[in-house]
Amino acid sequence: MSTTLIREPKAPAAPQAAAAVGPSALAGWTAQQRTTAVLAAAGTAAARAGSLVWKSAAILAFLALWELGPTYLASPSTRVFLPPLHEVLAAWGRLFETGSIQGHIAASLTRSVAGFGTALAAGVSLGLLIAWYGRLNAVLNPLLELFRNTAALALLPVFTLLLGIGEESKISIVAYAAFFPVLLNTIADVKTVDPLLIRAARSLGLNSFRLFQKVILPSAVPTIFTGIRMAGTASILVLIAAEMVGAKAGLGYLIVNAQSSFLIPDMYAGILTVSLLGLAVNFLLVALERHFSRWRTAVGADAA
Amino acid sequence: MTAKISLRGVTKQFTVRPGKGSGARPKARPGQANASTLTAIDSLSLDVRDGEFLTLVGPSGSGKTTLLDLLAGLSSPTSGEVLVDGKPVTGPGKDRAVVFQQYALFPWRTASANVSIGLEGKGADGRKPNRRERAAKAREYLELVGLAGFEDRYPHELSGGMKQRVAIARSLAYEPDVLLMDEPFAALDAQTREQLQDELLRIWKATGKTIVFITHGIDEAVYLGQRVAVLSARPGRLKEIVEVDIPDRDGADDIRSHPAFVEQRHKVWTLLHDEVRLAHDAGHRKILPDGTAPDEPSSATHETLPERSAA
Repeated sequence: MSTTLIREPKAPAAPQAAAAVGPSALAGWTAQQRTTAVLAAAGTAAARAGSLVWKSAAILAFLALWELGPTYLASPSTRVFLPPLHEVLAAWGRLFETGSIQGHIAASLTRSVAGFGTALAAGVSLGLLIAWYGRLNAVLNPLLELFRNTAALALLPVFTLLLGIGEESKISIVAYAAFFPVLLNTIADVKTVDPLLIRAARSLGLNSFRLFQKVILPSAVPTIFTGIRMAGTASILVLIAAEMVGAKAGLGYLIVNAQSSFLIPDMYAGILTVSLLGLAVNFLLVALERHFSRWRTAVGADAA
Repeated sequence: MTAKISLRGVTKQFTVRPGKGSGARPKARPGQANASTLTAIDSLSLDVRDGEFLTLVGPSGSGKTTLLDLLAGLSSPTSGEVLVDGKPVTGPGKDRAVVFQQYALFPWRTASANVSIGLEGKGADGRKPNRRERAAKAREYLELVGLAGFEDRYPHELSGGMKQRVAIARSLAYEPDVLLMDEPFAALDAQTREQLQDELLRIWKATGKTIVFITHGIDEAVYLGQRVAVLSARPGRLKEIVEVDIPDRDGADDIRSHPAFVEQRHKVWTLLHDEVRLAHDAGHRKILPDGTAPDEPSSATHETLPERSAA
C-alpha cells in the first residue's frame, strides 16, 4: 500500500528535474560540439559539469521525493514510519549535538578498520604465499572455495557463541568476510602475471625475492585492489548486521535500537550515515587504487 | 679472434605431457598416454667470436628460442656444454642480456625505471648504485637508442618501435658483453624495423658487443649478420654457417639491392627453403617456453614463411 503511494509521484518529479537540468546540460553539449583543439580543455570541463548535473539529478529527485512524498502523498499512519527528509536531518543534527552519532561512527569504524586491516594483511600475504607455491594452492583451493561460498553472516552465531558479544566476535566476523575476496583475488592475480615478464626479470638477474618484490607484487596490485574494494563493501555489510544482533554501540546498534525505541527519524539518520560511510569508504579505495595503478588505468584509455 | 660463446654438442630435450599447455592437442599421438620427449636441439656445436654479430635463422620449431634460453641461462641443456668466456653457463648472468620479441617491459615502470631495473642490485664493483646514478645511466642509454626526453613515459604511451628501443636500452644498461635477441623486430612494421636494424648496427659498432640475433627473416639475417647460422628443421641442428660478405652497411645506400646482398640472400634462402618445407610438412610449430609445442599444421604456414620480413 505504502509503496504504491510513494511510487506515484516519481513520474511527474523526474521530468521536472530533467527540465530544470536540461538547459545547462545542453549548453555543455553544444560547447563540446564546438570544441576545437584549443578549446578542448574548456569543452571537457563543461561536459564534466554537465554530467555532474545529470548525475546529481537522480539523487536530487530522490531527496525531493523523500521530502515531499511522506508529507503530501502518504497516509498519516505511513508518515510515522516514513518521516520526511528534514525530520531525519533534524534527528541527525540532534544526534550530532549530543555527540552520540560520533560515538556510534567511531565504534563502527574501529571495528571495521581493525577487522579489515587484519583481513588485508593476512589475505595479501597468504595469497602471495599460496600462489607462489603451486602445490599449496592445489591442496587448499577446494577448502577455500567452500569457505568463500559460506555466507559470513551464516557464521555469525558461531562467532558469537565462541567469542561472546564483545568486540572480538565483531572484529573477527568482519575480518572473516573481508579475508576471502582479498585472498582469492591475490591468488588469481599472481597466477596471471605475464610469464614473459618473469622470464625477462630472470634474464635480468633478479633472484626470487627481487622477482617477487619488483615484478609479481606490482603487477598484481590492480587486481588485489579489486579484492580490497569487494572486501570493503563486505566488511561494512557484515559489521552492520553483527551490530544489529548484539552490541552496545555502533551504527547497526543505533538503527535497531532506534527502531525498537520508536525513534523512527533516528533510525533513518543511522541508515543515512551507513550509506554515506559506505560511499566514503568506496571513494577512498577507488582513489587509492587509481593512485597505485596509474599505469594500468591509462592502458584502458589508450586502447579506447 | 677468441670464441666468446661456445656450444659443444648441445642437446635439449623437453618432456612433453600430452594435452598440457595450450590444449591445442587434446588427442595426442597414439600410444602417448605417458610423457614423451621432444628433442628441440640435437648435438649442436657453434662458436661465436668475441664482438661478432651472428644471426640465426631456422624454420619455426627448430629450437631457435630454446637455444637462446640456453645461452641466457634460463634453461640448461640435456647434454653438451654451453660456455661463455670458457666457463659453463649455470644461470642468468650480468654478462648476458636478452631482448624479447614482445618487448617484455614492466608496464608499471616508466621508460627510465625500466632501463635501470638491471642496475638495482649490486654492480660489478659490489656497490649498489643510488637512485641518481641509476637515472643518469638510464638517461644515457635511452639517449643511445634515440629516446632522449622519453624518460618519464610509461610503456603504454610508447609505440612498438619505441618500446623495443627501451628494451634494448634496458639490456645494454647493465653493460653485458653479450646481447641475445629473440626476433626483436618481428612485431614491428617494415619501416620501423629497417630503422631499428640500422640503429642496432650503429649501437653494435659503438659498443662492440657480441650479438646473437634470432630471426625468421632472411633479409634481416643477411643484412645484420656477419655470419648467418642456418638451423635445420626440428630437431634443430646446425645446417650451415654462411659468411656474409657485403659492403659496409651504414644505412646510406640501398644495400638490399646490392648484387652481393642478393647473392647471399639467395644462398641462405636455398638453405632454408628445404628446411622450411620439411618443418611445414611435419607441421612443426614454435616450442613454448615450458617445452610444449602445439604442432598444428593449419597455423604452421604463416609462421614459417621466410619471406615475411621482406614485406
